[in-house]
Amino acid sequence: MKIQTPFSRGRLPLPAIVFLAGCLVACQGARRDKIVVGSKNFPEQALLGEILAQQIEGQTHLRVERRFYLAGSFICQQAMLAGRIDTYVEYTGTALTAILHDPVETDSKRVFGRVQMEYEKRFGFQVLPSLGFDDTFAIVIRGEDARRLHLRTLSAAARFAPQWRPGFGYEFMERPDGYAGLTRVYGLMFAEKPRILDLGLLYRALLDKQVDLIAANSTDGLLSARDLTVLEDDKHYFPPYEAVPIVRAETAGRFPDVRAAIAELAGKVSDAEMQKMNYAVVAQQRDISEVAREFLHSKGLP
Amino acid sequence: MSSAPDDQPIIEFQKARYQLPTGRILLQEVTFAVPRGETLVLLGRSGAGKTTALKLINRLLEPSAGKVCVEGRSTLDWDPIALRRRIGYVIQESGLFPHYTVGQNVSLVPRLEGWAAERIEGRVRELFALVGLDPDEFLARYPHELSGGQRQRVGVARALAADPPILLMDEPLGALDPLTRGDVRREFHDLQKRLRKTVVIVTHDISEALLLGTRIGLMEAGELRGIYSPKEFLSATEPLAAAYTAQLRVLEEAREQK
Amino acid sequence: MKLLAFLSQHGDEILQATLEHVWLVALTMLLAIAIGVPLGILVARRPWLSKPILGTANVAETIPSLALFGFLLPVPWLGNRADRVAIAALTLYALLPIIRNTATGIAGVDRAVREAARGMGMTEQQILFHVELPLSLSTIIAGIRVATILTIGIATIAAAVGTGGLGEFIFRGLAMVNNPLILAGAIPAAALALMADFGLSLLERRLRPAR
Repeated sequence: MKIQTPFSRGRLPLPAIVFLAGCLVACQGARRDKIVVGSKNFPEQALLGEILAQQIEGQTHLRVERRFYLAGSFICQQAMLAGRIDTYVEYTGTALTAILHDPVETDSKRVFGRVQMEYEKRFGFQVLPSLGFDDTFAIVIRGEDARRLHLRTLSAAARFAPQWRPGFGYEFMERPDGYAGLTRVYGLMFAEKPRILDLGLLYRALLDKQVDLIAANSTDGLLSARDLTVLEDDKHYFPPYEAVPIVRAETAGRFPDVRAAIAELAGKVSDAEMQKMNYAVVAQQRDISEVAREFLHSKGLP
Repeated sequence: MSSAPDDQPIIEFQKARYQLPTGRILLQEVTFAVPRGETLVLLGRSGAGKTTALKLINRLLEPSAGKVCVEGRSTLDWDPIALRRRIGYVIQESGLFPHYTVGQNVSLVPRLEGWAAERIEGRVRELFALVGLDPDEFLARYPHELSGGQRQRVGVARALAADPPILLMDEPLGALDPLTRGDVRREFHDLQKRLRKTVVIVTHDISEALLLGTRIGLMEAGELRGIYSPKEFLSATEPLAAAYTAQLRVLEEAREQK
Repeated sequence: MKLLAFLSQHGDEILQATLEHVWLVALTMLLAIAIGVPLGILVARRPWLSKPILGTANVAETIPSLALFGFLLPVPWLGNRADRVAIAALTLYALLPIIRNTATGIAGVDRAVREAARGMGMTEQQILFHVELPLSLSTIIAGIRVATILTIGIATIAAAVGTGGLGEFIFRGLAMVNNPLILAGAIPAAALALMADFGLSLLERRLRPAR
């Protein structure tokens, strides 16, 4: 009778280990012939993502997967680095401060140039020319307050800050180009600490008078649909936030058609057009892909 | 086989002492010698220090003072692995590896030593015959499938596998019931004559000591009270020895009365 | 049913996310085993180490997972990539059950067996690989099983810091108030946990030595 070697009982069979290892490699290495478009988690981003997606689908006939509503710039950045998404729309000011951790700048050309250079150098991402609008932060107060106090600019409004309760979103509170800088530059001292709310709830809170001043986005649909006033950033505190498509260099290299398709969108979206689309989705509850398709057709695209 | 000249004792204790780190002394200064081919039985109560003394021989413990020499060299000068490979070790609970078959258990040391497969197989069959177990029946079985007596026999076979010149046994029959104990004892006695090894057995059983030992070392409270031949032991006047002998008489009287 | 239609339509993405998730968990478990088992052996050998080593692992366990991910973000090299952060944090979490079970398994080996092994002239290494590990394998696998299920669950939270995987579906679904999307992440994660539990339990039982 043959005497077995020790450890033969209970040893994982070799083929199983090889199979498992192969699976692990496949998980990471598999690159499918499709494009993944990402977006952050608010309607404007989903709209822009959808516009990108439909443009790519129409022009290249590649399969496009949508990975929208990723929680924020950091998440999108990580997803790009890991290759989980191929492209998304970022804002130059956000890229500068929140991703590159560079000091704030207000010259939009310089900001774009720096972002383009650094993104290429550090991450291997290509920054394409702006889609045509600037989604900067809008400091918004109720129309009635603006008229009563004769306010048009932030500097003028600073006097009344101690009477107001502000409301901001999480990201605005934490970003270097957000709350901290704003209060410093304009010398704002509010009555209370800011209420921190989800972006979607800020307008309601303002209109319901639960807060008196909010930081919203200049392209928000509600701005034109409600009695609200955007205070002018007369000290030019906020950096430019041009909407630029970011594409992974690897993707652009593999699919030059994709890059061309996205580049064709440059300058096609004005501030007003973005506001209109946002309004359609947020206030009129219209379907995002429909609104996106309508917009593209109106430009003779895809 | 042995590195020591023929007349030198195989095992020698020279004022060997063992003390726990806590300070408790398990073995007082003990001096004795075991010549080649002898079976020394260390007899005593629990706590007498017999197991401690045994473990000093295969360096499972190291003396706190004094020397223990095996084949002429202090255990501390030996490579502990090499020392233990030359010494068969049988313990009370047999300590068979539960995840090995009986065959794998017995062939352990030869396999560690790198013997050829055929040599190992031959040796295993030989050993089974030696301890009275049918190889075809037991080779592929697992220890938990065996009775206590069978397990102990496997333990002995395992200890003898690489044919070591020295055999240490710590209460080998302690876990067995009296009937099995008697059987195994008798078998071992027969085996002894054929083996011609130097053996040290630890026990608290006087009949075992008398049957198996060429000499009996009486231990109590960490001291060696004396070394006797079985005959000498029976007529010894040393109070402890006399107490043991008295126990035997109790059994005889009980048998006569019934 | 709406959910099934959703699942079949997005099957590709779900598969992708599942593979990402499996990759995270597999890498974590490899690291945790490579670090945890030797530490467990160390603790079994030197019981005085049990307090510092198990104590540290225990502290890591008590930190809320989301917080731990957050703590590690500012760390250089580690914090630059979300998957590195996730794997570092997940490995820390997986360590405790593995170290503890390894130590318990090895310390639980019958003293008579270990004494016989020593007395026969086996080296410490031989005793470890031929006696202690085979006999404690079942207990160690039990620890790995617990750690794996833990990791599969906590890995979903890692999506909060950008790691992807099935958690991303859940977070996106929450942001969009989209139940099918949430379930698209939750159901595969639960399925993975169940499969891991089942598979490793089988292995555990197969390896349990008869007494």
